[in-house]
Amino acid sequence: MRVNDAVLGVILLLLAGTMIWLTTYFPSFPGQDYGPALFPRLLGGGLILCALLLIRRGHAARRAGEGWVTLAPWWSQPGLVVSFLAMPLAVLAYLFFADALGFIPLAFALLLALFLWFGERPLRALPVAAVATLLINWFFSDMMRVPLPRGLLTGIL
Amino acid sequence: MDAVLTAFGLVFDPSVLLVILAAAVFGMFVGAMPGLTATMATALLVPVTFFMDPVPSLGAIVTATAMAIFAGDIPAAMLRMPGTPASAAYADESFLMTKKGQLDLNLGVNVVFSALGGIVGVAFLVLCAPALAELALNFSSFEYFWLACLGLTCAVFIGSGNPVKGFVSLLFGLSVGCIGIDPAAGVPRFTFGNVDLMSGVNFIAVMIGAFAVSELLRGGVELHQVGHVVVPQVGNVFRGVAGVLRRYWLNFVRGSLLGTLIGALPGAGADIAAWVSYAVSKRFSRTPEKFGTGHLEGIVEATSSNNSAVAGAWIPALVFGIPGDSITAIVIGVLYMKGMNPGPTVFTENPQFIYAVFIIFVLANVVMIPLGWAAIKSMKQVLRIPRTLLLPLILLFCVVGAFAMTNSSYGIVLMLIFGVLGWFMEENGIPVAPMILGLVLGEMLEQNFMTSMIKADGAWLAFFERPIAGSLGVMTLLVWLLMLVRGARTALRRPAAA
Repeated sequence: MRVNDAVLGVILLLLAGTMIWLTTYFPSFPGQDYGPALFPRLLGGGLILCALLLIRRGHAARRAGEGWVTLAPWWSQPGLVVSFLAMPLAVLAYLFFADALGFIPLAFALLLALFLWFGERPLRALPVAAVATLLINWFFSDMMRVPLPRGLLTGIL
Repeated sequence: MDAVLTAFGLVFDPSVLLVILAAAVFGMFVGAMPGLTATMATALLVPVTFFMDPVPSLGAIVTATAMAIFAGDIPAAMLRMPGTPASAAYADESFLMTKKGQLDLNLGVNVVFSALGGIVGVAFLVLCAPALAELALNFSSFEYFWLACLGLTCAVFIGSGNPVKGFVSLLFGLSVGCIGIDPAAGVPRFTFGNVDLMSGVNFIAVMIGAFAVSELLRGGVELHQVGHVVVPQVGNVFRGVAGVLRRYWLNFVRGSLLGTLIGALPGAGADIAAWVSYAVSKRFSRTPEKFGTGHLEGIVEATSSNNSAVAGAWIPALVFGIPGDSITAIVIGVLYMKGMNPGPTVFTENPQFIYAVFIIFVLANVVMIPLGWAAIKSMKQVLRIPRTLLLPLILLFCVVGAFAMTNSSYGIVLMLIFGVLGWFMEENGIPVAPMILGLVLGEMLEQNFMTSMIKADGAWLAFFERPIAGSLGVMTLLVWLLMLVRGARTALRRPAAA
């Protein structure tokens, strides 16, 4: 997804503007000339400078015939778009359901779904998803003492 | 001397050696797998090494990266698919050699010269780092401020073809680094009352996102474009390598030296070292017309160069706490997590750790030859692992790893945001490495800047009064001026061309 430089520039301008505006709420200390707002303001200034250069460049590219947004050819194939979104969606699903379901059931389900979507045979996807989930759970939860959510299995584990 | 002996004791502990061996195998695998990079290997290792002692965790990172940079050469030669970006510079040349039936010699040269180049890099690390550390002990906030500025500027200057986008990436990284408690006054900034944001942005989680998840996003789309691959047969890879060393020793020496230097410059790592060395080799070759036809000369120089860069990058990381590439940026994070603040004081307070890193580096480059041989021989099996299984597995590993960094879903959120952002940046030609360097160095830069400002009390000349600070400052300003002039020249030339 290529975006015209001018669009990037405008986004950066908004971002830098917000950042500088937020620094006006930072406390200042009497007798101290250089407070916590100084460094972010300098960075914001630098970003604004870059943003202006990008906007100029983006306009030149527009005149040369570049679109605002240029999508790679695969965006017109729904299957590939789902393949692209599958992994971020899996992470979102993990974020929303991890506490309720627990690591083991959720990780197994997500792995299996991704394997099958990417075209793996169920006969191979099932055992790999099961073994991988248990191995990762063993390594991180038992060996490294990372508090992976237990969810449904709270009483059992 | 005591510290050296302690270091030997720390490294040659059976459990540490086992960790190093496992990391070596892991590095070989990640490097040999096209689409997985050495930086990704490091980012994935951090959660695993999080709970280990400093020596095994640093050892794992050193070994895995050295192996991965070599192993990237194998699929480049066999299939014209560089395993890591560091092998991209000579992937075509290697593959042409394979087509001419010289695969064995090519792989032999790659493994032997990678190891030798790595050892040259380590030699410079061992020689230069302690001497520089001694010098750096006298540094004040002014020197560190300019050093960080110069380093970050170099990262933009070398690392990207487009300085404006490089600066955007850097400034954005520095801005993200401002989130959390401000290092000088202790005031929370941009936290919106959120407890997670108060602790700052965990940059290991960010790196897992920017370097691993963004690759996975690309990989998900390309999954079905990679057809079945045929791995050619490999014979005796070491035959004829000695002859190559006699013939091209100058290329080896030049490649290793240049690689170490480029590695030591902040922001440029093994991949850029390989590109530059390949170009230098062609420029000074007596037979430049042979380049691009399956010629060994450039491969010798570039493969030595990328491995020496791996060690070179550790010089500024250990001495000044300024990473030489994105791998050492992660290392700096690991050092902070282990309570060893990188900088010259580590050399006086914990010299045994420094010596242990040196020993592990030598060890890694020595075991590279037998392990590399094994990796070459088992390439068929490695490439048989279906990517349909591999990508989701890596994703799950990333999720758990990011979670482990904060012990909350905050790490996963960061990983997801920066994964998508990293993908978007790459699509738009904005380099990711300056952002990471900015994020890692932001606090140090600001702290030294604020301290210097308060000390100088408005007298700007104070930034140039001390001899080293003055020289560094002038150098930084010169690089900025050079960039401005270059930018202005292209801006003036463009309307004329259009």
